[in-house]
This record gives sequence, structure tokens and C-alpha cells, in this order.
Amino acid sequence: MVGAALESSQVWNDLNESDRQKRLGRPSMVEIRGVSKSFHKTVKDRTTEIKALADVSLAIRENEFVSIIGPSGCGKTTLLKMIDGLIPCDSGKIVIDGKQITGPGPDRAVVFQSFALLPWRTVLANVQFSLELRQTSKEERTKTARDYLKRVGLADFENHYPHELSGGMQQRAGLARALAVNPSILLMDEPFGAVDAQTRQLLQEELLELWQRERKTVIFITHSMDEAVYLSDRVVVMTPRPGRVAEILDVPLARPRLSEEVRRDATFVDLTNYIWRSLKQAMENHH
Amino acid sequence: MNSRIGTHILSLLSLAALWEIAGRAMNSTLIPPLSQIGAAWWKLWMSGKLLANLSMSLTTLAIGFSLAVLFGIVVGLLMGRFRAVEHFLDLYVNALMSAPTTAFVPVLILWFGLGVESRIAVVFLFAVFVIIINTMTGVKQVDTVLIEMARSFGAREREVFFKIILPAALPAIMAGLRLGIGRAVKGMVTAEMLLTLTGIGAMIMQYGSSFATDSLFAVILTILLIALLTMRAVQWLDRRLTGWKAEIAIE
Repeated sequence: MVGAALESSQVWNDLNESDRQKRLGRPSMVEIRGVSKSFHKTVKDRTTEIKALADVSLAIRENEFVSIIGPSGCGKTTLLKMIDGLIPCDSGKIVIDGKQITGPGPDRAVVFQSFALLPWRTVLANVQFSLELRQTSKEERTKTARDYLKRVGLADFENHYPHELSGGMQQRAGLARALAVNPSILLMDEPFGAVDAQTRQLLQEELLELWQRERKTVIFITHSMDEAVYLSDRVVVMTPRPGRVAEILDVPLARPRLSEEVRRDATFVDLTNYIWRSLKQAMENHH
Repeated sequence: MNSRIGTHILSLLSLAALWEIAGRAMNSTLIPPLSQIGAAWWKLWMSGKLLANLSMSLTTLAIGFSLAVLFGIVVGLLMGRFRAVEHFLDLYVNALMSAPTTAFVPVLILWFGLGVESRIAVVFLFAVFVIIINTMTGVKQVDTVLIEMARSFGAREREVFFKIILPAALPAIMAGLRLGIGRAVKGMVTAEMLLTLTGIGAMIMQYGSSFATDSLFAVILTILLIALLTMRAVQWLDRRLTGWKAEIAIE
């Protein structure tokens, strides 16, 4: 089963646009077409060009959960920021629902690795922040924010300040802030990278539950192999800098996925091991 | 907090007792006993002389410091936000920050004359640079992730400024105001002693030169009290505005 999945994904990169569309069955919601990005770094008057991403192409379906995994510095966060529209592409383009993106938009929301909560605002006010920028009325904002705080299990903590909460709770607030604007695409940048292992597993389960209810397209950056496999429909493996798509793997595990069962499943174990070998190979080729 | 206030009171009482004893033991006009200073203070107060001079001095302080706060925060925000503005001005700000402001007093006399304008200018110059530098540093130290977050949720430049940069820089701005008020009080007394003799600065010069040491110390203690109270007022404001920061620091 895994073998078949791997085979099909290796072929995937060689297909042209229309063939990909056919194979997906549904129209792609996010299409990343031949995107490259370089940065200029100046150290002591000497400017060096760092190639972050090289010709990355990827198509993501509506309501799909896709993880992007790769070694540190492979440009996965850069790619996420480009999908969000925070930084422009050097070449290539990113198309969402048929429209090329030029900046951040209400169809996307980011969950940040470092939570990015405003320390001077309470949890409730932090969740309202995303709504304030979209000109909804005050009552409506409070109502929506409370609703999402309830969904992430923070209803009793709305008047707490971020520093009074644990990392896991802070990220729940970050998730509520992103969900509150009701985006169709959720961009998650190693969201559980800064919390302890037990909390991490708990948050993964909660995220899947939420995702199953809300049905959103999720693009999830991670460096954890089992996190990628447990959560995703497909896992995109990237090479070290400059980041390219090494392979795209289907995760043929049935949903809903119960954490304990899935992690013992032979497919889960095989796939995780396969990704590990794939990453290792990509890094060895690099050196 | 309570034990701190207790220790403060103990410290003041010890100093007062020591001063009283030393004053009586030496029996010299150079160190009058505290009770004598207290009596002199009361006399100055009842005659209305202290209050008249004090209100003149404090008016100068209030106007000069307010202008410094307004100007300092605006310039500091611009310097922190725009690299070009920073590079255009940082030479002068850094030079004037560490230069002895007293040296400019003769120039100010030439420009503004010997009136209240010059004294306000001295207070302003004493306080403004530390406010500029603190504000600028505060703006530059804002966590870029927060700015990125705001942009990601669709914030425009104005919203990034008012919802992220200004509140994030507020603790540093308030620290600048705390340092600034101390310098402003110094500027106030300096101006009154070096320019035209007015306000409590004039009282110091007058009592100092006539060996009226009890009245002299009464005025000096009054200045110390002003310094302490104005500092407390800024600290109070700071806690009101940036209480969240204090709580983080305690943890």
C-alpha cells in the first residue's frame, strides 16, 4: 500500500498541470507553480545570495490536510509566508481559487510557531485582534471570539494574559484567533514545535477534531515525521536549501484517526520510516 | 510592598534623628538641626514665599517637560520607524544626549532672553534626548513576529503602528519619561540658578550667600521632595499603562 502511494507521488512531479488536475479529481485550491526565492545577506559589506527555494510546484486540494516536512533551513517557512502573501515570489506564482495572490487575504490565516500573541492583551482581546482588522461590530467580535475560545477549550481563560498561560494554551489562543476570521485555508508554521511532547500529542488530536468539523484546507509545516503522517492526507518532503520538492507521499490511513491506534498501525510506522530515509538521503545528497 | 514602605520610614526616621543629634552636637550654622530647618520651612511656607516661588518653578517644569515628552516621543517614534530619519538625526541626538546641557545656557540666553522662555528651553533640553532615545529603542525592539502577524491578518501601516508598535514600545517610552522627569527637575533648578534668579533656584542662591543655612536646607529638601513626587507620578502612570509588563517581570 505504501509502495503504491510512493510510486504515484514520484510520478506526480513529472505530470503537467491538467493531468494533475485530472488525477486529483477536484480542482486544486492552492497551486504553487514553479516558485523560487532568494535572499540577500550582507555580512561586513559582502553580500551573498542565499537561494531559499528553487522551482517549487505543488497543488493542494480543497479541504485537504497537507504537511510540508524538511530539514531546518529548507525554506518551508518561507514557502508558507509566500502562500500567505507576506513575501513575494522571485519567479513563478501562487494561485488560490484561480486568482494569483499578491498579499495577505481574508481567505487565509496563519498560526505562528512562537504564538505571536500580544502580551498587553487578554486572551479574548487577542482573539478579537484578527476580527478588529475586518471591521466587524464590537458585539459581533466579542461573540465570535468567545465562540472560538470555547471551541479550543479556553472559555474559562478569556481574561488571562498570555504570560499566565502554558505554551499549549497560548497556541490554542493562536488557533482560535486564526479560526475566528473563518479562513478557508489555515497556514500552520510548526505550530506545536514550542510545546512539550504530551501537550503536542493532545494538540494534534484536538486539531484533527477541529479540522474534521470545520473542514478547512490546512498547510502544516513541521519537522516531526510522525506528526506529519498522523495529521495529513499528503506529506510533502523537501530537500535542504535550496528547498525543492523531493517527494509527495499519500497517507492512506482511514479517518477519523485515533492517536494510539494509528501510531501502532503498520502503514504509519512504514511511512514514518520511509520519510526518515527520504530526508536522510536528501541531506546526504546535499553534502 | 508594605515591608518596603516600613523600611523607607525607618530609614527616614534614622536619618532625621542622626541629623538632629549631629546638628545639636556641633552647634554650628553649617549644619542646623533638623528641627530648626523644619521651623524655617514652616516660616517660608506661611509667608507665602515658598509657595509663590514653587508655583513659578513648577510651571516652568510642567511646560518644559510636556514639550519634551511631546517632541521626544514624536521624534523617537519617527527615528525608530524610519531608518532614514534615524540616520539623519542620530548624530545630533547622541552628541546632545551626552553633552553637558548646562553649556548651552549662554546660547539660550542669547536666543530667548532672560525670561521664562529660556528656563523652559533648559528644562526641555535636559529631558528631551533621553526620551527620544528610549522611544526609538522601544520601537526598534518590537518583536517582528508581532508585526508580521498583524500584516498577515490584513493590518495596514496605520494599524500596525497603533495596534502593535505603539503599545509594544510603551514600556520603553515610559522608562524614558521616568529618566526624563529626573533630568527636567535638574534643568529647572539649573536654569533658575544660572539664568535670572527666580523660583526656588533663586531662593537657594539667596540663602546660600547669606548663610541662612536653615532656610537653605528647607529649600533643598523641598526640591528633593519634588523630584521624588514627580518620579512617583510617572511611575504611577507607567503602572497604569503597562501593568502587563510589570507582571511579566515579576514572574
